[in-house]
Amino acid sequence: MVRVAICGAGGLGGNHAGNFDAMPGAEVTMVYDVDEDAARELADAVAARPAEKEADLWGDDVDVVVITTPTPFHHYYTLKAAEAGKHIFCEKPMCRTMEQGEEMLEAVREAGVKFMVGHVVRFFPEYVLARALIQDGEIGDVAIARTSRINTLPGGPNSWFANYEMSGGVTLDMTIHDFDWLLWTFGPAERVYSVGVPNHMPPLDYGLTTIRFESGTIAHCEGSWAELGQFRTHFDIAGSDGLIRHSSTENSTLTVQRRGGAEDRAAVQVPESPAAVSPYMLEDQHFIDCIVNNEEPMITGEEALAAVEVALAAMESNEAGGKPIKL
Amino acid sequence: MARLGIMSFAHLHADFYATAIAGLPDVELVGVWDDNAERGEEKAAQYNTRFFPTPEELFAPENEIDGVIVTSENVNHKRDVLAAAEAGVDILCEKPISVSVDDAYVMIDECEQAGVQLMIAFPSRYAPSFQRLLEMVRAGELGEILCIKGTNRGENPGGWFNDPSLAGGGAVIDHTVHVVDLCRTMLEQEVVKVYAEIDTIFDPDLPCDDCGILTMNFDGGVVATLDASWSRPKNYPIWGDVTMAVIGTEGNAWVDLFVEHVDIWRASAGTHLWEPYGHDVNADMIADFARCVDTGAPVPITGMDGLKAMEVALGAYKAADSGRPVGLPLA
Repeated sequence: MVRVAICGAGGLGGNHAGNFDAMPGAEVTMVYDVDEDAARELADAVAARPAEKEADLWGDDVDVVVITTPTPFHHYYTLKAAEAGKHIFCEKPMCRTMEQGEEMLEAVREAGVKFMVGHVVRFFPEYVLARALIQDGEIGDVAIARTSRINTLPGGPNSWFANYEMSGGVTLDMTIHDFDWLLWTFGPAERVYSVGVPNHMPPLDYGLTTIRFESGTIAHCEGSWAELGQFRTHFDIAGSDGLIRHSSTENSTLTVQRRGGAEDRAAVQVPESPAAVSPYMLEDQHFIDCIVNNEEPMITGEEALAAVEVALAAMESNEAGGKPIKL
Repeated sequence: MARLGIMSFAHLHADFYATAIAGLPDVELVGVWDDNAERGEEKAAQYNTRFFPTPEELFAPENEIDGVIVTSENVNHKRDVLAAAEAGVDILCEKPISVSVDDAYVMIDECEQAGVQLMIAFPSRYAPSFQRLLEMVRAGELGEILCIKGTNRGENPGGWFNDPSLAGGGAVIDHTVHVVDLCRTMLEQEVVKVYAEIDTIFDPDLPCDDCGILTMNFDGGVVATLDASWSRPKNYPIWGDVTMAVIGTEGNAWVDLFVEHVDIWRASAGTHLWEPYGHDVNADMIADFARCVDTGAPVPITGMDGLKAMEVALGAYKAADSGRPVGLPLA
C-alpha cells in the first residue's frame, strides 16, 4: 500500500486526495496545509489525519508527497520531500523560475526518488489520440497547430491565481498544459513570441503565444482567464495531408443545467471528462504504478521544466509587448 | 443606374461580383475586358455582356461606363486602376490593393488627381455579425478592447496565387488584409508593430509561403494575432473562415462571419460539405459601390484602407525574414 500525503488542501489537492483514496493500491494518510481548517476538512473527507506540523510530512508513515500548493512553493516542498526520501507528485507548473526548477531536478536526482509533474492533458483521450494521429503521419507534416484553453479567473479575484507574481498568470498556470502537449508531440521549441494583458488581474488575464518548433511547426496558443462562461478547450492542427480538430464544447456527451445555486462554484474549476476513468485518476494511477514497478514516470522533470521555459519565455515576450525569445 | 465594367477575371471573386451585379436591379454589367481574351470572352458570354479586347474599347464613350471592378492578379491592380483613372471612372479594386507601398500610393494619388474614387474590396465589412460587433464596440459594451485573436484561413487557391511575381507573396499577402481591415475599422487604431512566423509547409514545393501567424500591436495598445494560412485541406467542407475573438475589459465577443451553414452529406458523391445560407456580403458591397458611383457619395473603404492593410502583410514578410518585429509604417 502506497501511503500518500497531500501537501496543499486546495482544489487540486482535493482532486488528487479523492483519487488516491479510491485507488486500491494507495491510501491518503495525511493532509497538510498552512490553513489548518482546510487540512482538517480534506483529511476528514478521505479518512486521513491532518498533519499537525510540516515535519509530519517527512515522517515514516508517508511514501509519496503530493504537492498542490501555490506554484512558488513547489520548489520548497520538493526539496524537503526529496531530502526525506519521499516520492513526489508535483502539480503543474513545476516551478515559478528556472533556477527553482534546476534545483528541484538536482534534488530528486540526488535523492533517487520518483518525480512527476501533473501535466494531466497527456491523459486526456482527445489529446492522446491527436498526438498518435500526428505521429502516425495521418495529417503529414504539421504546419500550424492551434490550441485554446479557456477559463474564468480561477478562484475569483482574491485567490493566489490572480497574483501574477505567484501564479505567473494564465500563461504559466494554464497555457502550460498546451506547451507541454506541443513539446511532447512536436519536440523541442526554438523561439517564442507572445502578447497579452499581463497587468489586468483581477479580473482577467489573456495571452496569445506563437511558438516555432525545431521541426518547423508553428504553434499558436490561446490562454484565457477572461472567460465568462464555461471552461473549454479547442485544437485545430493542420498538416500537409490533413487537419485534426477538437472542441470540448462540441464533444460534450453530457450537459446539465440546474435551476438555482448559480453561485455554487468550486475554487478551481476542474474540467469534467465524461470518461469511465477520469484523466486525473489515470495520471495518479500511473504515478503509483511507477512507484510499485520502479519505472520512470512518463512525464519527466526535464520535460516539465522545458514547458516552464516556454511559458517564462512567453511571459517575458508578453511583458515586453512582443519580443522574440530564443530558447 | 450604375453602369459597371469588370477588368479581368483572373481573381475568382470576379465571379461573385458579376453574379451580384446580375442580382441588383439598378446596376448593369456593361462589359468585360481581360488580358486573357479567351477567358474574357467566356465570362462575357456567361454573364450576358460584351467582351472588349482592350481597356480603351471598354472605356469608349459610347459605353458610358461609370465604374469598374478590377479583379486582375495583384501585381496588375496598378496597371488597371491607372487605366481606369485615366478613363475617369470610379474603381472597386480587389484586395490587396497592390504588392508595394509605393505602387499603392501612386494608385491613390492618380485616382485623386483624376477625380475618381478608389474603393477596396473588403466585403467582410458588410457581414451583419461584424456590423453588430462594430455597434457594440463603438457603444463601449465590451469596455476597452484589449486583445483580438483573428483567423482568415482557407484552402490554397492555386494558380497565380502561388506565383509571387503575380501575387506579391503567398498565403500571407492573400489572407492578412481582411482581418486587419476589420480590426482597423473596429478599433480606429493603426498597426505600429508586426511580427510573423511564415513558412511553406503544407506544400513544400510551392514557390510561395502557405502558412503564417502574425502578431500585431496597435497604436492604441490593442494586441492581436492573425492566422493567415492556407491551412484548410482540399476536402474541407467550406472554403475557409474569417473569425475574431475580441477580449475587452467588460466582456468578450466572438465573430465567425461565414459560419452559417447546413451540413450536407451526399451519399453517392461521398462528400460532406457546408451549404452556406448566410448573408451575401458581396452583393451588399457591390450595391454600396454602385450607390457611391451613382451619387458621388464617398466610398466607405478607401485606397488608404487598402494600403494600410497591405502594409501589415508586407511588414509581416519583413519580420519573418529578419526574425524581428517590424515597425509600421514601413520606412
